[in-house]
Amino acid sequence: MTSHPIVELRGVEKRYGNLAAVSNLNLALSAGEFFSLLGPSGCGKTTALRIIAGFQEPTSGQVLIDGNDMADMPANRRPTNMVFQSYAIFPHLDVGKNVGFGLSNSGLSKAERDMRVAEALEMVELGDLEDRKSDALSGGQRQRVALARALVMRPKVLLLDEPLSALDKNLRETMQLELRRLQQSVGITFVMVTHDQYEAMTISDRIGVMFEGRLKQVDAPATLYAQPASREIAAFIGGMNFLAADVLSSGEKGLGVNIRGFGKFHIARNPKVSKHGERIEVGIRPEQIGISTAEEKSDMGIEAVVRDIAFYGESIHYHVIATAADAPLSVAVPNHFHSRDFARGDKVSLDIKSTSIIDLGTME
Amino acid sequence: MFRLRSETSRGMALSAPATLYVGFLVAAPLGILVAYSFWTQNYVSIDRTPTLSNYGFALNDPLVRHLLLKSIWIAGLCTIATVVLAYPIAYFIAMRARRKTLWLLLITIPFWTSYLLRVFSWKLILGFKGLMNSALISLGAIDQPLAFLLYNEFAVVLTLAHAWAPFAILPIYVSLQKMDRSLLEAATDLGCTGFQRFRRITLPLTFPGVIAACLIIFIPTVGDYVTPALVGGSEGKMISNLIQVQFGAANNWPLGATLSLIAMASVGLVATGFLFLANLARGTIR
Ligand SMILES: Nc1ncnc2c1ncn2[C@@H]1O[C@H](COP(=O)(O)OP(=O)(O)O)[C@@H](O)[C@H]1O
Ligand SMILES: [Mg+2]
Repeated sequence: MTSHPIVELRGVEKRYGNLAAVSNLNLALSAGEFFSLLGPSGCGKTTALRIIAGFQEPTSGQVLIDGNDMADMPANRRPTNMVFQSYAIFPHLDVGKNVGFGLSNSGLSKAERDMRVAEALEMVELGDLEDRKSDALSGGQRQRVALARALVMRPKVLLLDEPLSALDKNLRETMQLELRRLQQSVGITFVMVTHDQYEAMTISDRIGVMFEGRLKQVDAPATLYAQPASREIAAFIGGMNFLAADVLSSGEKGLGVNIRGFGKFHIARNPKVSKHGERIEVGIRPEQIGISTAEEKSDMGIEAVVRDIAFYGESIHYHVIATAADAPLSVAVPNHFHSRDFARGDKVSLDIKSTSIIDLGTME
Repeated sequence: MFRLRSETSRGMALSAPATLYVGFLVAAPLGILVAYSFWTQNYVSIDRTPTLSNYGFALNDPLVRHLLLKSIWIAGLCTIATVVLAYPIAYFIAMRARRKTLWLLLITIPFWTSYLLRVFSWKLILGFKGLMNSALISLGAIDQPLAFLLYNEFAVVLTLAHAWAPFAILPIYVSLQKMDRSLLEAATDLGCTGFQRFRRITLPLTFPGVIAACLIIFIPTVGDYVTPALVGGSEGKMISNLIQVQFGAANNWPLGATLSLIAMASVGLVATGFLFLANLARGTIR
């Protein structure tokens, strides 16, 4: 059953004149996975999604859904459904008619259609709004109607274009969890486009990171966070301190490096990057750096001075200058309420473990 | 001084131009018309004793009834013809054309000449020795000129439809233009063919534009008199031709005023009925 991917893109390219909105896109999604296409605005995510849906024809390349080539399959006959960024709720139809819209093209009996509409509305917790006019819906409700309208068709793949970006922050976070729950209960493959890294990381099984029309890395959220394939990916996902390091020794698994002003470390080789020259770039996540007072400084401690403080509520970010390296670093500590705060100008000691240093390969 | 002026008086000052305009150009003439309709013509003078005799005469006269019904019939035909022709044009401009402004400009070109000239040009096209007949004869399609092209209902409908087409195209164009394109994609996504999509999304959403177009065409064409006078012949006469005669040759202004008011009331009635039916249809079109 699951021997072949449910969606497969082979060398898909889309050009608008000289601009390549999507180039050489290769991707295989397995049935039942929640996949996110993540990238900054304008990187070609929507274009890629619309090519899968059949709204746009690729300039070259192949789209296969459930093993079938979609080249001659018009959008209205593809086993995909889409949740549009604007939701595209039909304004002249009530909620029930919106959700049942696609079923009346399906040849099902009226009774069957009604049952499936009710079921779909139940699924998105809109059971009591079937007769509601569509112009009397809140943003969150519109989003649910759009979801129900697509899910009621029981597509092989559900495509979602920034489905949560129109919602306010609290609702967005609730909906992220709900979207995930929904996807797991229906078992349909979801492909979601988003520019929000946290959103992608919260709900996806795997994330594909896109820059300028190219897919740069496809991995599970945790892998993406721990082993970004390049500096730009590392910078796009989460916070990151970048430092230059000289390679002293290079083994099968690890690298001996000297980070000037910080000392010598033995770090793990990042399997996602290919090139390791004499000089590499390394990254350290802000929350992986320990911070304590200068008096508590251990032998391994690195001297630094607090330059700026940003209070985030659940965490505090210190912007410090490492004295010996004269390098700016960002350090994030959870807000423990009773922990000692540091003030601007304080001398502090930083604690960096070699396991938390990420190898980013040869400096670009 | 100005600061002390109340909300109300400021409101009145603001609406004064509109009030004056409506008062002088709509209400006053209408009032005069109503007044005249209750008077009677005594050859050269006007008898100002209020009477309903004009109404009695007009409502019982078979010619009036015939012309009124025919005016509504011709205007109705013209409305249908115009809107049916205008819809595809508006659709093309809104959905397909690349240079929309240019197309809209082209649509208005007929308005660069006077209405009278446009009607005359149809006379030249449809006439016994007109363009159409000459063309058909020189192509060998016919031996004798066709006499039925001009001076009948058909000629009136055709000429009016041509003259009023832009007024139908624009409201339909606007309603198409403001339709969210992602709704069309959503319909396709949910399995609609092009035709189903048109019937289930485009048509219902542009229905208000179509209704507006119908009213914009129907209301003024019922009362048109230039076109029937020039291309209608005896068969194509409409109620306004009769009204015009009352104010001219027949010199019976009170009867003319009465006929005008009856025509206005009929148009209002038909338009209201039309809107009512349109509302019902709107429910079923969904
Ligand atoms: N119809 C189009 N014509 C020309 N350029 C387009 C068209 N659609 C998208 N683009 C361009 O392609 C690039 C990718 O667009 P898009 O896929 O919408 O990006 P994203 O969804 O990641 O923000 C952008 O630079 C955009 O300007
Ligand atoms: Mg987009």
